[in-house]
Amino acid sequence: MLPANFQFSQSNLQDYVDCPRRFQLRHFQAQAWPGVQAEPVLEYERHLERGARFHRLIERHQLGMDSAMLAATVAGDAELSAWWRDYLHFDYLHDLPGRRYPEFSLSVEIAGARLVAMYDLLVVVSGERVVIFDWKTYHREPSRQWFLARLQTRVYPFVLVSSGTGLSGGNLLPEQVSMVYWVAAAPLEPVVFDYNSKRLAVDCDYLSGLIREILTLGDGSAWSMTADESRCRFCEYRSLCDRGVYPGLLENISNIDDNIAGSVGFSVLGGVGEVGF
Amino acid sequence: MAARTLFIEGPAGVGKTTYALRHIRDLLAQGTGPETMLVLVPQRALGRPYQAAFTAPDWPGGAQIDVVTLGGLARRGLETFWPLVAKQAGFAHPEWEPIFLTIETAQYYMARFVNTAIRTGVFDSLNLEPAHIMRQTLDNLSKAAVNSFPLDEVADRLIAAWGDRHSSRPPVYRASLDVAQEFRDYCLETSFLDFSFQIELYIKFLLNEPLYRVYFTQRYRHLIGDNLEENFPVVGDFIRWAWDDLDSALLLYDTDAGYRVFLGADPGGMYELKELCADTQVWRDPVNTSPVMVALTGDLAVLLDPGREKPVQPDVNPLEGLVYESFRFYPEMIDWVVDSIAGLVDSGVPPREIVVLAPFLGDALRFGLSTRLNERGIETVSHRPSRALRDEPAARAILTLMALAHPEWSYRPPVDDVTHALQETIDGLDPVRAWLLTQIVYRPSRDDLGSFDIIKSDIQQRITFQVGERYHRLREWLLEYGSGAERFPPDHFLSRLFGDVLAQPGYSFHTNLDAGRVVAELVESGRKFRQTISMYHDVEDWSAVLYEYFSLAHQGMLAALYVASWRDEEKDAVFLAPAYTFLMRNRRVDYQFWLDAGSDYWWERLEQPLTHPYVLTRSYPPDQNWTDDLEFAARRDALCRLVTGLVRRCNRTIYISISNLGISGYEQRGPLLRAFQQLVQRYPAPGGLRS
Ligand code: SF4
Repeated sequence: MLPANFQFSQSNLQDYVDCPRRFQLRHFQAQAWPGVQAEPVLEYERHLERGARFHRLIERHQLGMDSAMLAATVAGDAELSAWWRDYLHFDYLHDLPGRRYPEFSLSVEIAGARLVAMYDLLVVVSGERVVIFDWKTYHREPSRQWFLARLQTRVYPFVLVSSGTGLSGGNLLPEQVSMVYWVAAAPLEPVVFDYNSKRLAVDCDYLSGLIREILTLGDGSAWSMTADESRCRFCEYRSLCDRGVYPGLLENISNIDDNIAGSVGFSVLGGVGEVGF
Repeated sequence: MAARTLFIEGPAGVGKTTYALRHIRDLLAQGTGPETMLVLVPQRALGRPYQAAFTAPDWPGGAQIDVVTLGGLARRGLETFWPLVAKQAGFAHPEWEPIFLTIETAQYYMARFVNTAIRTGVFDSLNLEPAHIMRQTLDNLSKAAVNSFPLDEVADRLIAAWGDRHSSRPPVYRASLDVAQEFRDYCLETSFLDFSFQIELYIKFLLNEPLYRVYFTQRYRHLIGDNLEENFPVVGDFIRWAWDDLDSALLLYDTDAGYRVFLGADPGGMYELKELCADTQVWRDPVNTSPVMVALTGDLAVLLDPGREKPVQPDVNPLEGLVYESFRFYPEMIDWVVDSIAGLVDSGVPPREIVVLAPFLGDALRFGLSTRLNERGIETVSHRPSRALRDEPAARAILTLMALAHPEWSYRPPVDDVTHALQETIDGLDPVRAWLLTQIVYRPSRDDLGSFDIIKSDIQQRITFQVGERYHRLREWLLEYGSGAERFPPDHFLSRLFGDVLAQPGYSFHTNLDAGRVVAELVESGRKFRQTISMYHDVEDWSAVLYEYFSLAHQGMLAALYVASWRDEEKDAVFLAPAYTFLMRNRRVDYQFWLDAGSDYWWERLEQPLTHPYVLTRSYPPDQNWTDDLEFAARRDALCRLVTGLVRRCNRTIYISISNLGISGYEQRGPLLRAFQQLVQRYPAPGGLRS
């Protein structure tokens, strides 16, 4: 049985897809395990903190705070200032009319469970379309295929369309939804995914199948461990699973945040909902 | 004014929260956006019924409904709108993000100022530990914030309440407030926000920010305020601030409660919010409550507080809901409680339908009860609000290893601690061998741990070579770490020692999930501690920070924060808790056991010479002396609320246990016992009653 009030999300589903045992330990048993996830730790933390500040900065801007005032708050941090400038030149967003919903959460019922999505930003052009924005402060730009394979790319539009939200002033068609990843490493080349009915049906099948599968698993024994042991080098449960002693080096993988930000990201940032930057 | 406003008052169990959930569903059915609703509760635990409903699969899809406390709203608001507040509020570095202090880090920084003041002798007239001076000074800051009092007013009120008892106290009050002011100035320098400062900034600055008002009024159109009576006065200010822009408001008030008065809640002030509402309703009829419990509530309330009006009661004998037994000695009483619980469980009662309640629940009592019940095969869960993290064996062991890794510190762990640490962490090392090993390799006067290789071979054999090899690896790690100790903050030290050695095969934490949880808590507290120090300063050498952290943990200033996990909450286990803790969980059970009903503790409040829960509220006249009569009335009122609250949360039977001699051997006849004795005399004994 999953914890009371448990909600599925893109990040815990991604954990399950990456390693069922990790899902069991992190989410099913809520087992704290203080192994180091990646080295150098301080550098990794700084990156996460900077990412959190960047998200906060955009939220503030989208809520109407003055950009000059905001720029002054990051003047002491060259990397953050650079991201901020790039964001200010992100015309795709700034030219888009519509109401802004920064840091917004939606949820739906699926397969007898609740699935939640926490959006960095939704822009709603009433009666026309809704655009999902997600900020990624990666140092290297992942391929489009990589994004396509992420649970986030499926969960976010699916929840938006399925939640029947009145945000757009009526029922929302899949074709009215698109998802945009803004990547710090390539700020002028956002990765855009347009949604459609076929995709919705596929995602619905896939996500409900996944959730049903998880719900049938009991806690009597350890769930299966990933066959890809490279994941274990960046996982705090490494010692518990007998999958090595020392953590992996950050420089050895791309898109570190999405690969390893689980509980560390959570505790470093004091409970930021979904870490993916 | 909000267009649709309703105030419902009534005791616990009449269905107020159920109604609120139905009200929210109705709003949703009418097309109201869930994101426009705000559920405001005084404490997170009281928001659980809402969170449970909103996350249930059958709840309508859509945006998440916010369930928050004022503290949560303040923190979120300050995090998001900080640039609008920082400069106005006078922060030295408005460009820095705020650093939110935990209780521990707030105490750590407050301790600096308190210790300086103690050295001047200003607190000498009080026989009080520094930790208590620190906590009560922080408490005064909180009381100031939740009432919107200036700090001077706190001192003035305390001095006026003290009256002319003797003259040594007023300077002490002033000194506490001076220390509080120094701490606050330091927070302005460093962008630190403790709980009180968050509340103050939110109410004083953020609520006056036009952009925040626009944001708030666009976002939230419907307010649901539950358990209003447990709120601080500033929550009333906040509701009045939001009121005119709301489309609807539903306010729920529990007429018997007000259990958080000790923390600054103002039930009387919150009741005045009723005047804002267009409709008001009084609900009296409990839902699914046995008539016996209804009768018992009414009788006990009047017996404890004769000034109360006796409610209309069902025509039943309230003694049918009681079993009581009196003993000469405390241990006999505990025996009876354990036997009675075992009898209930044997007869098919699920353990989670049983709670054992005491006014205070010390570690010895808790341990004794849970051990005895566990021996009978009955699981228990308990709430341990003030347990120090260092008291957990795993934490004690790893802290000892931390000290061993730093021979340069003035602190050298005692031999017993080292024996415990080795036995606790090395798999296969029993207490006798651990003692033997420690005797040979450790001398508090020597710099580091000795090598296994230097031990005579016959002793090596006794200890075993396998253990020796494990000891060797641990020692090597500690020595190697020591050569570059300045590079590691405390949390990294702990994580590495755990992951590199103690959680590896051959060591006891390898698959010890409890130890993992405890060390994770230490790591987390170390991280927070380190972050307050290093957020805006580059730290080249962590040695001093590490030592400070160690001292904090070692002095027991880090509380085990482990909040009962969901599994504990849902476990089929007997719950052992202080009575107020149980009340604030707002749960009903079939059977309650009240321990030691003759004890005066049931109506005594915590001795806090530097602060005062009743005087430091808005509803108390600022220049009024606090008399013995007022103290008596306050205690009587608190006991009456406590007892009626407990009875209302019992479905079947309350077991009253009485020990004529208290735990310290004195005769006991507290007011709760007297009330029961009067009750028993009033009604004929029903068949089931034992006395
Ligand atoms: S260490 Fe590897 S196998 Fe174990 S939970 Fe982590 S990813 Fe899964």
